[in-house]
Amino acid sequence: MAELRRTPENYFTLTCAVLGLIAFFCIGWLVATPKVLFGRSLTAIPPSLFPQLVLGTLSILSFALAWRIHRSPPDESIPSGIYGVGRGAAFFGVMTFYALTMTPFGFFISSALSMAAMSVLTGNRTIWQIALLCLIAPPLLYLAATRLLAVSLPELNAIELFYARLLPW
Amino acid sequence: MIEQFFEGLSMALRIDTFVMMALGLFGGMLVGALPGFTTLMAMAILLPISFFLDPLVGIPFLLGIYKGGMFGGSIPAILVSMPGTGAAVATSRDGYALTKQGKSRKALDMALFASVFGDTASDIFTILMIFPIAVLVMQFGPPELFAVLLMSLIIIAVTSGSNPLKALIMMMLGLWLSFIGTDPLGGVERFTFGLFELKSGIPLLPMLIGVFAIPEIASVVMRNEKTRQLAAVMGERLTLTELRRCFRTIGRSTVIGTSIGIIPGLGQVVAAMMGYSAAKNASETPEKFGQGELEGVAAAEAANNSVNGPTMVPLLTLGIPGDNVTAILLGAFVAQGLRPGPQLFDEQGATVFAILIAMIFGNIMFLAIGYLSIPLFSRIVTIKVSVLIPLVIMFAFAGAFVFRSDSVDLLMLVVFGIFGIVAKAARFDVMPMVMGFILGPPLEYAFGQTVAMTNGDMFGFFLGERWGAATVLALCPVFGYLLWKRMQSVNTA
Repeated sequence: MAELRRTPENYFTLTCAVLGLIAFFCIGWLVATPKVLFGRSLTAIPPSLFPQLVLGTLSILSFALAWRIHRSPPDESIPSGIYGVGRGAAFFGVMTFYALTMTPFGFFISSALSMAAMSVLTGNRTIWQIALLCLIAPPLLYLAATRLLAVSLPELNAIELFYARLLPW
Repeated sequence: MIEQFFEGLSMALRIDTFVMMALGLFGGMLVGALPGFTTLMAMAILLPISFFLDPLVGIPFLLGIYKGGMFGGSIPAILVSMPGTGAAVATSRDGYALTKQGKSRKALDMALFASVFGDTASDIFTILMIFPIAVLVMQFGPPELFAVLLMSLIIIAVTSGSNPLKALIMMMLGLWLSFIGTDPLGGVERFTFGLFELKSGIPLLPMLIGVFAIPEIASVVMRNEKTRQLAAVMGERLTLTELRRCFRTIGRSTVIGTSIGIIPGLGQVVAAMMGYSAAKNASETPEKFGQGELEGVAAAEAANNSVNGPTMVPLLTLGIPGDNVTAILLGAFVAQGLRPGPQLFDEQGATVFAILIAMIFGNIMFLAIGYLSIPLFSRIVTIKVSVLIPLVIMFAFAGAFVFRSDSVDLLMLVVFGIFGIVAKAARFDVMPMVMGFILGPPLEYAFGQTVAMTNGDMFGFFLGERWGAATVLALCPVFGYLLWKRMQSVNTA
């Protein structure tokens, strides 16, 4: 039997197939019991029916695609891996850091740190450019969002008080 | 209807609407012109801004980005043979050939005029047709709605990319994601794993930004690009004689694009390819197409821009987004309290007309802004990616947060961003997934209501009372197969 091709396409397809299959057979644990009133269901269809149809279809289609990929000749033009995995991992690391720190650190600090990291990751080595970008852009966006659009962004009390003293509105 | 139209006309005549639309047009052109950055990304990131503006300001702003971006995508297609949008691929065939002949200015002028004409004509068609279609749709019950939604999903699957199997898999994934949270019929929890944060389901906006914008940005970072460059614009302007020569082609492409725009799922790419193919087939000199023929540019641009207006018809009348851009517009409408569907015209018909009329005024501004902006690209523009990327990320995160003021949405953004880049590497299109996610709840709800109406006799119900819906359901696989075969012939043309 020919070896399974180690391509992102194959991995993705088989993951969908396996997850769909597991979810299909474990539907009882994943969907809460439907509500019943006086011995009768409140809905015409059980809440697990549509998910089961979809999950079953997903598994069948994914296995069909995986089989088709396995049977077809390899396409040499498709890269066998993801280019720049290290840079990609660093990129998502910075994004995760940004997501986790926005509320506890506030918008300004989390944005400044994340933007600095992103700027360095994309090749900027000029300190003053990075500093200018990180110190000016977040406050401008924060003030535009909170004062002009009247939406809230998380910010530390000390920084918010500083803005309030700095600006009359 | 006439009263609503005139009321909408007076509502649309606002300075702030025009100002924001002009900003959107210019911004859309700028983003569309940057190779690697898409209009879709700009709309997804700027969508939250529209939430906090008046509907008659916010939605025209997004529409301005959409329209400007469609033309903007043709700029790198013509200047450097790098289409900024999928729809500009057809434009690049003759556009880039014209640039190599030193006639890039003519090509850009033709792209602009053809885009504006196609867009304006289709917007007028939309205004004339939308109300009668809405009246027809009001006769729909749950069985008809279920049939139409299922047909739409099948059309979207077969027209998305070259592999319908992959599109169907992504659609199933999207449907599955839509089940997370509370069941729309019975209110029971599904796939929440006991997590409080998942009880209200997955929010749409972080998903849209995550799958559409983040993978584009990540690709730029992973390819280690330093700058974005555009070539200089050269040559004489388009003459009236050259424009007159292409009138028939522009008219033909407008009709093609308008017809395609009404059907959910087909979109600008299909329209541009079909418009280009039709122009080539009708031309007396088809051998000149691909060698620098202005008609080629006119055909592609008129067709892809004339999709813009009619694509609002299924969106506004049925709540069915035809493509990923209208999926974002749907998010804007819902956030503004304008729930698309037949009842929208009953309750807020004047507002809908005001938005559609603003689209027409926007085309006039489009012509002026485009005509004046093209010389801006006459200098070589270098934009440092190390400045642009951090700014875009900051906007994306701020936008995802303000949607629900919930930090969990930021983690959703990161998760969907990772999913988007993995899907891209695996050569799966995320658009069917987003469509499945958006249409999943109304599809399931309509299905549940339909089953309740049948009282256990499904066949008797459909064949006796709802034969229209039964016909559509029976034709779904046939229509899907025929459309897929047609798409294959268009793609290989």
